[in-house]
Amino acid sequence: MGLISGSGSFTRYMVEGDLENNFMETLSERISPYLFRNLDENSLEGRSMGWVNIMDMFDNRFSGLEFLKEPYIAMTLRIDERKVPPTALTQHCLEAENRIKEAENLDFLSRTRRSEIKEAVNMRLLKRAIPVARTYDMIWNYSTSFVLFGGVNNKLCDEFAKLFLQTFDFHLQAVCPYTLGSRFLKKEGASPELLDELTPSDFAEEK
Amino acid sequence: MQLLEKVTKTEFLGREFLAWLWFRAETDQGVYDLPEGGKADLWLDGRITLQGENERGVETITCTGEAQNMKEARFALAESKGITQAMVKLGIGDNQWSFILDSTWMNFRTFKTPRVMQDKKDDPDGVFYEKMFLIEEAVAAMDEIYAYFVKLRFSPEWNDRELPALKKWIGEGR
Repeated sequence: MGLISGSGSFTRYMVEGDLENNFMETLSERISPYLFRNLDENSLEGRSMGWVNIMDMFDNRFSGLEFLKEPYIAMTLRIDERKVPPTALTQHCLEAENRIKEAENLDFLSRTRRSEIKEAVNMRLLKRAIPVARTYDMIWNYSTSFVLFGGVNNKLCDEFAKLFLQTFDFHLQAVCPYTLGSRFLKKEGASPELLDELTPSDFAEEK
Repeated sequence: MQLLEKVTKTEFLGREFLAWLWFRAETDQGVYDLPEGGKADLWLDGRITLQGENERGVETITCTGEAQNMKEARFALAESKGITQAMVKLGIGDNQWSFILDSTWMNFRTFKTPRVMQDKKDDPDGVFYEKMFLIEEAVAAMDEIYAYFVKLRFSPEWNDRELPALKKWIGEGR
């Protein structure tokens, strides 16, 4: 369940830079290469990531410019992954190794051979694994330059920022006490450098 | 100084902000004026996580409880631990939000808005705009409160009045 359809966690960003005059007209063109594509059942791809409609995770076409909800650009980042459960992989590898040892009359297998077997077994099982879909909403208020992303995991947030850059050609600056504080100081006409001089307060009471 | 270095060096600001929010709420000062009129009522509710470093490494304490008079958490503050996460309740008018505020990235976890009145089937865009209005209303209020804290933190009033009162309140929790 995403931010819009339920409750959730989110990280905030600020978009660095200004929009070009014709930016809105280029949106479809920019988003199109990064739309979500379903994992091909016959392929060995383990992961697929891309944009889908924020109101419908099965719509990856945006035929009616559904990403544009002025003054927002709103989409969902969908990540489908199929993985072989580690226990199943271990069991199937052991079975395959035993079969080979018996067929080739070997007492043990080299590390390289075992690694090759593991890869082959993983590929075979991957075709049978069902992909799991995860979704994270992204809402960019282009009138304030703030972006909300419905995830808080560092690795995921890095992936999101990278995809955002690829799609829109804008870097994102994560909101944190420093960046937010410097924004307020600038607004007040004060220098953000003031923050560099600040030292932590001592909360321990003098005795 | 590079941005990342500045961000790391001022991480304590987020922890101080959460401690200050708690202090204000517990001393009847948890109501803040909003720029467009109205007031935001803020209190910490149910869960506080503190972190500190000592010779054994990083130590994390999570205090949960109905009553905000959580002595252990206040004791930990006096022992140089900082609040890294707190469950916050925010009230504006008749609406109430709840979320866990994180001190490092100021991100919002398990964010709950008041109930959306629009129906998804009848008007999906209406749901979107109503939800966004509710999210942004709370986020803007939190930004205002943080701006107020930053202003206070740089003013002489911080050392003259606010910090001594905060220290006294922490000391009373021992």
